[in-house]
Amino acid sequence: MKLYMAKRLCEGAATIWIVTLVVFALLRITGNPVDFLAPPDMPWTDRAYLREAYGLDKPVWQQYLLFNKSLIRGDFGKSLRGNQDAALNVLLERVPATMQLTAAALLFSIVLGIGAGVVSAARPNSIYDRIGKVIAIAGQSMPVFWVGLLLILVFTVYLGWLPSAGGVDRLGLLGLIMPAISLGWLLVASHMRMVRSSVLDVLDADYIKMAHVKGLPWRLVLWKHALKNAAIPVFTLFAVNFAHLVSGAVVTETIFAWPGIGRLLVESILARDYAVVQTVVFFAAMVIVVVNILVDLMYAWLDPRIRVAG
Amino acid sequence: MAGTYSLSGKLALTVPLAIRGQPTLIIQRLRQAWRGVPIFSFVMLTGAILCALFAPLLAPYDPIKTNPVHALAAPSLSQHVLGTDHLGRDVLSRLIYGARISITIGFLAVFVAGSLGVLIAVVSGVYKGWIDRILMRVTDAFLALPYLMIAVTVISILKPSMLNVILVIGLLRWMDYARVLRGEVLRLSETDFVRLAVVAGCTQRQIIMRHIFPNIVNTLLVLTSLGVGAGVIAEASLSFLGLGVPRPLPSWGTMLAESQKYLYTAWWLPLIPGLTISLLVMSSNLMGDWLRDRLDPTRRQL
Repeated sequence: MKLYMAKRLCEGAATIWIVTLVVFALLRITGNPVDFLAPPDMPWTDRAYLREAYGLDKPVWQQYLLFNKSLIRGDFGKSLRGNQDAALNVLLERVPATMQLTAAALLFSIVLGIGAGVVSAARPNSIYDRIGKVIAIAGQSMPVFWVGLLLILVFTVYLGWLPSAGGVDRLGLLGLIMPAISLGWLLVASHMRMVRSSVLDVLDADYIKMAHVKGLPWRLVLWKHALKNAAIPVFTLFAVNFAHLVSGAVVTETIFAWPGIGRLLVESILARDYAVVQTVVFFAAMVIVVVNILVDLMYAWLDPRIRVAG
Repeated sequence: MAGTYSLSGKLALTVPLAIRGQPTLIIQRLRQAWRGVPIFSFVMLTGAILCALFAPLLAPYDPIKTNPVHALAAPSLSQHVLGTDHLGRDVLSRLIYGARISITIGFLAVFVAGSLGVLIAVVSGVYKGWIDRILMRVTDAFLALPYLMIAVTVISILKPSMLNVILVIGLLRWMDYARVLRGEVLRLSETDFVRLAVVAGCTQRQIIMRHIFPNIVNTLLVLTSLGVGAGVIAEASLSFLGLGVPRPLPSWGTMLAESQKYLYTAWWLPLIPGLTISLLVMSSNLMGDWLRDRLDPTRRQL
């Protein structure tokens, strides 16, 4: 187990390293970062000074060493806007809003996904199964931002029930409903399919038949025995999806003016605040890598076969 | 039945050998090959491709020309069938021209992603060893990238353009092809016919091109079909954020972004382009599902 853990951690570190390499390369191959950072009317001499201050007059390999050095110290540079806060602090301010949104979206997709998945698996090819299939196909095909726009159109414009923009701090939980549904909608399909196929697999097993034969009510067999045993792959999918939601929230946060990191990314890009852009991208990659490692470790802990094979 | 299982990468058909070449039976054979094809998907995809090819002939108005007098006109059968947007541009015409952008980007991005994925899969699966290990580690790393965030960042640096959108989507979306196809290549390289080809003195190039590649075409086709839909959504998302195809080109994503300000006055602006995107993506997905079932009956539907 220790060996396996060490191996996964190394792999995770390698992934993060590739991310840093990609970001470094991006900011360099596309020209001089100063040209992105500096306002267009900045005099030439100031640019030269900036270049020196950022170490951009040195050869590329030295720049790369410097870049890594500051990363290890947790120094992601300074934001250009406001009072030149450290980019890391600017990011951390926005993290809670994104976490609220992604958690709510995940919850929505899990509840709907498990419900619909178990019901479809209980009676394959029934009307419920078919309805579930239609929902899955529709869910995979509708772009997140269109779902958001439709929700606003119906619940804000026509019914006037829900606010269309916000953040929990400003609007409370009511403002969370539509962003969470629009972000979670995409995952309902994948969660449902996964739950359905895992439960179907489990339903074939002898202990399920046994539980059934010894007279347990079908409801109990399905929701307790079958669902519990189908939980491992399903739970893995939830965790992995959560990590990707954090980065996928860009569009949803833009539509609903949600003050999270996705919105921060778009704002920073428009303001050419590349220190913050880089920090946000790192953070999202970190979340994905860390969650993936945790999932793998948990999986290995639950199922010894993986430790040996991995 | 005198069946032949075709390994040549075409649709695997069960047809008596003797009937090949007879015209009526060719029709029968074709009919068999297309059995169960999702009609809706087929019509949608063909329609979209036709719109893309013949946009200038089909569009009733110029998609870019503004006409403020007719701004935000509701859909009506007499003039603008699907209404006009805030600058008085005809929505139907923009939709038809938009098919050009979505189809081009969807297909070319898949082409870039597929080519890179096939290349990595073949190199990985044929050479094995440490090359394989490094390439798969890189693939895993790319899978852990926050895809949309990186796409947005890169395009903002490179400046939005059609070519950049294609390249960015393609270069961030090759991992599925690499992983799935690598498995196939590994499996194939252990088969008897590849071993016999080695014994028979085939060069590596011949083995890859004539023995391995034709056998991964089926899987590639399925992945491609599913990938076009994902590509269309990615393009629309980028355009929606203002980082896709530059304005005033009529991308469906841009149309949705512009509709945001007019939700209270013009319901057709958010509804129509979104519906078009969804239907096209759904068609591509259903087509992929059908191809998967058709080309590989052993595969269980997940």
